[in-house]
Amino acid sequence: MNDLMQPSFDVKDYLRLQMMPHFMCPGCGHGIALRSLLWAVHELGIDKNRLAVVCGIGCSGRVGAYVDANTFHTTHGRPLAFATGLKLARPDLTVVVITGDGDCLAIGGNHLIHACRRNLDLTCLMLNNEVYGMTGGQVSPTTAVDRLTTTTPHGNAEPTFDACRLADAAGASFVGREVTRQAPALKNVIKAGLAHEGFSFIEVMSDCTEIYGRKNDLGESPEMILSQKSDMRPEAFGNVADEPFRPNRLRAGVLVQRDRPEYGRIYRQRAAAEQAKAKAKP
Amino acid sequence: MTTPSLASLHGNRACALGAIAAGCRFFAGYPITPSSEIAEQMSREMPRANGVFVQMEDEISSLAAVIGASLGGAKAMTATSGPGFSLMQENLGYAAMTETPCVIVNVMRGGPSTGMPTRPSQADIMQARWGTHGDHPVIVVAPASVQEIYDETIRAFNLAEEFRTPVILLYDEVIAHLLESVVLPQRHTVATITRKWATGDETAFLPYAETEDGVPVMARPGGGHRIHVTGLTHTQDGFPTQKPDLAARATQRLLDKIEFNRDRIERVETFDTEDAEIVIVAIGIVARAARRAAQDLRAAGIRAGLFRPITLWPFPEAALREATAKARRVLVPEMNAGQLALEVERILEPDKVARLNRIDGEPIGPGDIVRRIRETAA
Amino acid sequence: MTVHAHRAEIRLAGSGGQGLITGMHILFRALAIEGRRAAQSQSYEPTSRGGFCYSDLVVSDESGDYPLATGLDMVAALSQVGLERSLPLIRPGALLIVDERLVPEPPASGFDLHVLPIAARAVEVGSPRIANVVALGALAHLGRLVSEEMLEEAVRLETPPKFADLNLAAVRQGWGLVGARVGVRCLSASCPPMCIG
Repeated sequence: MNDLMQPSFDVKDYLRLQMMPHFMCPGCGHGIALRSLLWAVHELGIDKNRLAVVCGIGCSGRVGAYVDANTFHTTHGRPLAFATGLKLARPDLTVVVITGDGDCLAIGGNHLIHACRRNLDLTCLMLNNEVYGMTGGQVSPTTAVDRLTTTTPHGNAEPTFDACRLADAAGASFVGREVTRQAPALKNVIKAGLAHEGFSFIEVMSDCTEIYGRKNDLGESPEMILSQKSDMRPEAFGNVADEPFRPNRLRAGVLVQRDRPEYGRIYRQRAAAEQAKAKAKP
Repeated sequence: MTTPSLASLHGNRACALGAIAAGCRFFAGYPITPSSEIAEQMSREMPRANGVFVQMEDEISSLAAVIGASLGGAKAMTATSGPGFSLMQENLGYAAMTETPCVIVNVMRGGPSTGMPTRPSQADIMQARWGTHGDHPVIVVAPASVQEIYDETIRAFNLAEEFRTPVILLYDEVIAHLLESVVLPQRHTVATITRKWATGDETAFLPYAETEDGVPVMARPGGGHRIHVTGLTHTQDGFPTQKPDLAARATQRLLDKIEFNRDRIERVETFDTEDAEIVIVAIGIVARAARRAAQDLRAAGIRAGLFRPITLWPFPEAALREATAKARRVLVPEMNAGQLALEVERILEPDKVARLNRIDGEPIGPGDIVRRIRETAA
Repeated sequence: MTVHAHRAEIRLAGSGGQGLITGMHILFRALAIEGRRAAQSQSYEPTSRGGFCYSDLVVSDESGDYPLATGLDMVAALSQVGLERSLPLIRPGALLIVDERLVPEPPASGFDLHVLPIAARAVEVGSPRIANVVALGALAHLGRLVSEEMLEEAVRLETPPKFADLNLAAVRQGWGLVGARVGVRCLSASCPPMCIG
């Protein structure tokens, strides 16, 4: 954890301090995710003026407001669509999308798969806390089977989405996953995603202690964070479905990286060719 | 060469060319009858104009992308029809709340629901005004000819940019697919308005400042003014608030921005209303039928005139009162079950107002209007 | 129905795929070259090929005039269904051109009827698909809408260069199908609709 003390990175340089205290619950993993993002931004030397953070709605949606950059708190499920317009109009900006499991996989699921397919140069962080926290703890597409939420009082009967597998199948050119328990590793995955030219999907295993953890008796934040690697549901890239339980079975890090042409670049190349053709005409 | 050129254009094509002349450099859309020709035209024109066209996965994302592009600095537009317009309502409210300039074209078709995709209608008049939730300002312009689609598309962009608000261009399927001659001005003679960008001190900058004209300047990403944009009720600094006095102030300014600038926003056409005993109030293709009908009635000795709100919302109330001052009867023909009439009845004495409605997917023709006026006169 | 002296309503009627819209675009363009205003509209349905289809042109000096047909003054019909579906909208005494083969049952009376071998001439010229242009030539000539030169100029402008010769031959065939009625109809306000200008 000494890496966290890296002297050159001071998270305060990237935060809107006038917004403090922030409104995330004690023990929420979203703060670690945000810190890891800003750490990656710092290490890549991205200019705050050229950084755009686009968020949806929910706990993850509120994270962007704390970043001292160009921040956009958009509508529920649509941050990827907003970001698509922003990035196409302004390819000079680094555009990061922060979304949640409900925002990204339920109401915004369609935008996710098309963003993966289109391969525009966006970096999408999906903060997965397995629940709709902002609205009081309802079941989400990543809530584990049998878990209790305010809308599954008898236990969740729906299977979960594996976000990374979904993004991979939809053609994302970069898929990564990391737990908030390991901030330096998370920072490194985000860094790789930001550096990748194309659509980067990163699932951040966060936690909702206050609502989800309490309701399901999962312990306090330290217990929840420690169990991320062993208890987390996604099975993609693990190839361990038939094996008995063992700790640390969650595959994390960069899971997929494909060399696919970036959409914005192709569009601009074709536009330039069209313009040249028009100019050549008498 | 500075002479304007005469072109024969379809309504939807005129819309696309008007947008480009107005400086539109971003279009996102989703195919839907009867508006798809706008997207098709934009997909051809945008690369040449150094702009971007993108076909999104639905109408929700189309307007989201348009707003994203506009916040990035591009003049941006989308085009759709009823069902897609319904899907856009949430982000339409977001654009109004965040004061993001953009133009939304709604080529009206028969509804409700999937309705009659290829038949004309004017049944979105109230949806255009009240479709998104919450108290919000809106500007809607309603052209009636191909020339006017071109001109009003340019004006829609100018209004959007000047007042930092979404502007809806509302017209029916008939004029969307009409071929007419259009005078295209030379590009450099088109008067365009572009939003005011923030300059100067970055630390004290208030992105939603209460300015004299009610319209704050915009912060361009990359320019150093690192602001927060949110659909939450926000104060002048752009950050959310729930304090009653600040919340009321913020919403009131949004509404006042349009209300106090009515003189710059409203546009009407009147035809023979000065001495009219009967004034017809209509928009779009029906207004053209009404004009024909008014002439026919005059030839038959009945003094009829036409009042046409080109700016449909905010509704030009004072102009309507003036145009109908001498009228003993006001007829509101429209291709819906009665929407424009609600507004006219609100403004004038309701007893004076008669209605003529068609909801069969057929346009209201001059004959329909003449017959109805003879009926009401009898 | 009020008769408007300065207004003429023209229709090409037939079935989807016959090029009726292109036909009217040519006429629109020819009129535009002569500085006259018109509005062209067409049937707009999910399926056009084979079914009833029309393409209308409303010529009017008045800007902002009602652009749709209210009572057709001139019609060229290339299918029986095209004719029948249009009949309710055709003025009594209107100019009516029908193809001798494609419209086997033209109305017995009430119109200025011309039964012409339009499709046959199209085949002779080179393709059954240019019956629209043959019909247009006949319509423009009989209706005294534009001069032959302007019509040919419009054909050149509105059709792909590859097919220019074919279309020009077709329009000339159509023009030649009918006996000359000299002059171009003036369409001015003082002139009755069917005057010989």
